[in-house]
Formats: sequence, C-alpha cells, structure tokens
Amino acid sequence: MSEENEEIPFYQPQHNEVELFEQAYKNRLPLLIKGPTGCGKTRFIEHMAAKLGRPLYTVACHDDLTAADLVGRHLIGDGETYWHDGPLTKAVREGAICYLDEMVEARKDTTVVLHPLSDDRRLLPIERTGELLKAPPEFMLVVSYNPGYQNLLKGMKPSTRQRFVSTRFDYPDSKTEAGIVEKETGIDLAISTQLVELAHALRVLKDHDLEESASTRLLVYAATLIKSGLNPVEACRAAIVEPLSDDEETVSALMEVVKAKIPVTE
Amino acid sequence: MLEELVGSKWHHFITQKAGKHYPEAIVYLSDVRHTAGIFFRALGGEGGLNVESATDSEVHAKRTILQRIAGIGDKTQYAWRDEETLRLPESIALFPNKQLNLDLYLWLTALSVVEVKKGDWISRNQLRTAKTLEIWPGLKGRYQLLLKAHLQQRPDPASLPEREAKQEKLIRTALLNPAEKIRLEYAKRPPQPVSLWLHPSPPVEEMNNRNAPEDPDDPEAADSKEEQKKQQKRKKANRTETPEGKDGLMSFRLESLWSWSEYTKVDRTSTEDDDDDAMQTAEDMDNITVSQDSETTAGKIKLDLDLPSSQYDDIVLGAGIAIDEWDYKKQRLQKDHCRIIPMESKDAEACELPQRLKSQARKIRRQFEILHPQRHWVSRQSEGTEIDLESYINFLADRKHGHVNSDVPVYRDLQTQSRDLSCLLLADLSLSTDAHVNNHSRVIDVIRDSLYLFAEALSVIGDRFALHGFSSRNRNHVRFYKIKTFSEKYSDEVRGHIDTVRPGYYTRMGTAIRYASQLLEQEETSQKLLLILTDGKPNDLDKYEGRYGIEDTRQAILEAEQKGLQPFCITIDEKAEEYLPYLFGKNSYILVRHAQELPAKLTQLYMRLTR
Repeated sequence: MSEENEEIPFYQPQHNEVELFEQAYKNRLPLLIKGPTGCGKTRFIEHMAAKLGRPLYTVACHDDLTAADLVGRHLIGDGETYWHDGPLTKAVREGAICYLDEMVEARKDTTVVLHPLSDDRRLLPIERTGELLKAPPEFMLVVSYNPGYQNLLKGMKPSTRQRFVSTRFDYPDSKTEAGIVEKETGIDLAISTQLVELAHALRVLKDHDLEESASTRLLVYAATLIKSGLNPVEACRAAIVEPLSDDEETVSALMEVVKAKIPVTE
Repeated sequence: MLEELVGSKWHHFITQKAGKHYPEAIVYLSDVRHTAGIFFRALGGEGGLNVESATDSEVHAKRTILQRIAGIGDKTQYAWRDEETLRLPESIALFPNKQLNLDLYLWLTALSVVEVKKGDWISRNQLRTAKTLEIWPGLKGRYQLLLKAHLQQRPDPASLPEREAKQEKLIRTALLNPAEKIRLEYAKRPPQPVSLWLHPSPPVEEMNNRNAPEDPDDPEAADSKEEQKKQQKRKKANRTETPEGKDGLMSFRLESLWSWSEYTKVDRTSTEDDDDDAMQTAEDMDNITVSQDSETTAGKIKLDLDLPSSQYDDIVLGAGIAIDEWDYKKQRLQKDHCRIIPMESKDAEACELPQRLKSQARKIRRQFEILHPQRHWVSRQSEGTEIDLESYINFLADRKHGHVNSDVPVYRDLQTQSRDLSCLLLADLSLSTDAHVNNHSRVIDVIRDSLYLFAEALSVIGDRFALHGFSSRNRNHVRFYKIKTFSEKYSDEVRGHIDTVRPGYYTRMGTAIRYASQLLEQEETSQKLLLILTDGKPNDLDKYEGRYGIEDTRQAILEAEQKGLQPFCITIDEKAEEYLPYLFGKNSYILVRHAQELPAKLTQLYMRLTR
C-alpha cells in the first residue's frame, strides 16, 4: 500500500461495489447492503468512508433500539435538561456517512424515522425540539442486513427496503478470499488457500447442519492464530468450528472435516 | 439348556478366533450417522441423501479353516451410494483399535463423495482414493494407518495357490499405488474383499424404468411403522418382473411354491407385515427379490381404502385447482401437475369446546391475553423518549434534600406491541395419523386437540388465522380441507369442523404447501406464518416418495419463502431429524417427542415464534 493510503482500511473489491458506492454517494442515494455475516460489509463501508474522506457513524442495531437512540433525546443535567444529538442527527449535521448495521434487528417502528431521510426530501424532522434538518449533499445513509440471519419473523419492511439502492455481498471467490486472508494476516498463501477450501466445504452445510457460514472474518482469525504459532487444527477448532455450532456432535463432525483438510503437524 | 450354553460359548469363541473381528472395538453406524452425514455433505455430497446401513454381500473368497468352522467370512458389508442414499456398513469391527474402525467409516464416506463413472471396480476405487487424498490431504495420515492395518489382514500371497497369489499381489499393488494401472486376472476364487474400497458392483436401482405402483392401497401404512424400524438393515435387492399370473395357470416361477425365500412380497407398497417369522426369515436371507405389484400375499382381502362414493364422501367445494410440482430429476417445475380438491367435512355440526379441554384452554387464553396488542406509556424508565415529569420532580426534590442518586429512571416511553400477523396452520391428515400414540389416543386425536387449543389461543390475541388439513391420493386428488378460513370467525361451526377431522390417505406435502402459500399470500399483514403440523415424511401412491417427494416439498418451501412467507414445521416423527433440516433449515422446525404434549407445545411455540 502506498503511503498516502495508509489510513484507508484494506478492502479487496469483488465486483463493482466501489463504483456503485461512489455513484450513490455522488447522486445522494441511500444504499442497502445485503450479505452474510463476516463477508466484509463493515470493512467495505469503513474503506469507502475513508476514501471519500467523510466521518463515519456506525450504529449496531438491536431489539431495543428506539427512534430516540438514533435521533437524540433530552438529557438531564445540573438542574436543567439539554438536548443530545443521536448518531443519525450528528451525521446529518456534519454531512457524514451514517451506517446502520444489521438493520432488521431494530424494531420496525424505529426504522420509520429513516423514511423522510431516505427519499428525495432528505429531511430529518426532530419532533422533540421542533427542528427540521435538511441533509447536506455529503450526508449518506447506508444500511446493511443479513438476509439469512433473520429470525423467523424478522424481515425488512418492504416499504423501507424500497427506499434504498441495493447491492448484495457474498463471500469472495476462493482466490480472492485466500488473497484477503494472506494480506490481512501475513500467513503463507498455501495455508490461507487451505483455510479457504475448508471454509467452502463448511459453507455448503449452511441451513442443513449449521445456521451460519464460516465467514471470511473467522478465516482471518484462524490464520492469525496459526501465524502466531498455534497448531493449525486447534486454531481451526477455536476460530472456525466452535464459533459455528454449540452442538457437541456437530462440532466433532466438523473437526473431522478440518482434520481431513489440514494435515496434522506434530 | 446346557447344550445351548455350550453352543453359544463355542460360537462366541470360534467366531472371535476365526474372524478378523474385534467386538471390543466395534463402531456402529448409529453412533456415527450424524458425523458421517455432516462429513459427507461438507466434502461435497448432496444434501438430500440419507445415510443408511448397507446390505450383506456374498464373498466367495477363500476362507481359512477356522472361518469355515465358525461359519463366517462368507459375507461382508460394502459401502456404496445410490441416488437416494449413502450406504455404510451397519457396524465396523475390522480393526482392534476403535479409532481405526471410526476412521474407516469416515474414509468410506469421503470415497463415496467422488463420482467415477468409468473403469472396472479396481480402477474406479483407485481413482477415488487418489482424488480424495488430493483434495483432502489431511486424510493421508489416517489412510496410511488404515492401509497398513488392512494389508496386515490380507492373506499372505505366499500361502495361496499360484494364481490366487498373483491376484492378491496385484490387489496389494493397487492399494499401495493408487496411480498404477492394474489388469486383474481373476483366479478361481475371487480375492478377499477390500474393505477400504466401495462396493465393487453396487446394486443399481432402476429408478427411471420403474413403473409407479398401480394401485396398492396401502392399508398397513399406519401399523407398519414399527416393522420398518426393525428392519433397518438393508437387504440386497433385485427387482424382478412381476409374474403375470392372470392368463396362465401357473406362469410364475415354480419355486415360489416351495420356498419363501424365492419370491415374497416385502415391498412397502404391498407389505404384509403381521408375520414376525417372515421378518426373521428375511434377516437370514442373502437375497430378497422384490417386485412391484399391488397385491398382498394374503390376497385381496383388504381392498377398501378406495375413495368413498360421492354420496358418502365429504362435500367438494369447487372444481379443483391445478398446482405445479417440482421434478428434481429434470430440475424443472411441471406446470399444473397436481390437482387440489377443496373440501369440507359433511358431518360438521356446530359444537362447543370439549369439556376435557376447557381448563387447559382457559389457562392458555390467560397466557395469551398478555400478548394482546396494546400501546401505552410506561413510566419510570431509565431510557425513553419523553421525560417522566413525576419522577423527575421527585428526583429534583430528592436532590435538593441531599439524596444524590445518579441513576434514576426519569423517562417514559411509548411501548407498542403491534401484532401485524397472519398464520395458516396446515395439518397433515394422512392415514398414518390413525396410529396410536398411547393406549387411549391416536395421532389424529392429538392433532384435533392441538387445533382446538391453537384456535382458542389465537382468537384471544386477535391474530388472523386459518386452519386447513390435507391428505392426498395420487397427484390429481389432493384433498384440502377447509376448517377455518382467514375471514371466518372462530365459532361453534368451526369447532364442529375441527371435531370432524379424521385420517385420510397419503401425504403429498409439496402440493398442499403450494396451495396454502397461495391462500396465505393474499393476506395483507406484514408477517405471514405458515405452520405445518405433520407426523412423517412426504409420500404418496406414485413416485412421490423418497427423494422425489422430499425435493418437491423443499422446492415448495423455498417458493413460499420467496413469497415472503415464513414456513415452520412441527413434527412428531422421531426420525424427522434425518430429513427436516434439509426441508426447512435447522431453525425452522421442531420435533415434539411426546405426541401427547403437542397441544400444549403448539401454543407455547406460537407464542415464542411471534413474540
């Protein structure tokens, strides 16, 4: 990496997502990114924010996230109350990028505050203070969610989904992914290739035996452990197999797959 | 008595002495089934395949004197896979070390993932071995150990007659060098089985040429579950043609007059299972020849599972609706392949909730009242959208008096529990629901009670719901019972319809799911839950059984998901874990082990799912 780019987090583009992001930013369109856990969604946005030189506000959404958590609320100070901006309001005021991670986790009524902001009005009304913020051109709203991760009844409201330009992420192809693992951890390409092949074998088990796929992030963890000297099979157990399942029988079956892929070194 | 004891001791002694068999290190398929399944799929095997035990195959290789005395060594179990199943030996005790036996299971599983079409059995297995070791280098070490152990057990070429020795040497070379080309010249006696390889000539099931069974009317389906379980060990099956006994006096094979073993009916479409001796005999046989026809050996006594004549049958609503069906072999949807017949019970009379369920229903209703949609302000919250003035004043007052407490809940929040949800419950009303779960109730009774309590609970919280039941008899007759539609109010009439649910025919699940999805899709709520209540696998009279039915059902579920519905399955089939994960995904089904708990579990589950 060249010196001037040093602060930009490493991201390996897979398709046209960088261009898409830039065009969306230029044309002030909100962006929705779908993709499985640990495939690089968050990294991509950090990368883009740094590249475009905008501050980034990330909100990890959860069950109890209220509209007030996003917009802001009155806090009680020394004998008086004062208004405190939430991350969304801050991002609008500063012309930053606001990233809502795993948006389906948030309650549906919460996401409704995004509606006026995500269409061509680009407004954020703050009811409690009577303010009406107009988003500056630099402001961008990005949300992500994991379509496979939904609990049975969690999905995105179609009316919310329709306000975004959408793109889908998936795990990179084997070669790219091996390259990413190599670059992130400095491990031998031969080992990272093996790890990626292992991940591919485990990914086919999704939905049938496993709830989640082995993500690129987990591979990076495993490679990090191997790099720092842990036995490869044990590193895979700790970083890949155990995080994927709690069921002992499944874990031992997955370990057989690991052992089949990675020769045990004494 | 004494003779028996001595006999069994002798048998034990001689078998152990003679066999390459180490009972203390035995590993059973049932112990590794789960692992082998995951292993198989992870290595690239297809998700829809079952793991089952293989059949005995005859071995004509030379036996040692001891083996001959012990009467063993003439059978072995190879592994192979066919279109529907991965077959592994029922148990492995070849090696003295348990780990080795376990490794052999995994090794065979890994081998069976590789598909090789060309070559003789040796080159096929060599190629498989080479490929597997190439893709899965981690197996090398274990393969070497297995190979070493296996070679030790193979007969020493020096002790064999010339031609056999040559043959044995060649096999050894093939094992040691998977890359080397071998031309085997067969000696008089075939070589010892190679337990590291797959079946030399796996029995081919001629799926495509097989005719659909004509009209077997399988009345034993409900009772035969037990028997099927007993006979999990597969027999090598040859399919022969059904003797055409109609025009000739005796045009079938004469032997069948003498021996059970030559011709008997053990196909599921025509089982006559009452006879335990037959089961026993089947255990002992090498070959079971199966042909498909629709009669039982007992003759045509049970003929009556036909559709009732129209005046006795339930009321048909409308002409029938064409539904597509997925053919996994052709990988395409067959347009309008099946026909749904909407029906309604003709004996339904308005009735009240049965007395025995009343107290339970009351309890459930109370539980569900909490879920009733409400929207209200909650005071004294540590987080919230508004300030709770009362708490705030108290807080200020307290502070003035010197009580400083930094963490006071002084907010209030508007909490909503909006329930924007429709649910369609689809109950399997196939004949198998006629089976008993205990001494006083049948599966159908449990399903009926479940429907009652479910409806009671849902009518309290006000979610929109519909109840339907289905059973099928071939593709053009899928009976889809209306118990309650979405728009109908839950009333005594509906209870009457619940009261009259009864076992029907077969389970063409895909068709029923597709039609139920169509109904549910029209709902305008944002969440649409499709609950499927069943007691077994999809099956029907024609080819709709085994993989075909499973794949079609899976496709129907995928389609439902694409429509934005949430399918969820509740089953009481204890073997469900073999196929339901493939159909619904790991998180979208639940197995209720004790059927009698179903009514209570169902409502609890609904509460959990929709909270």
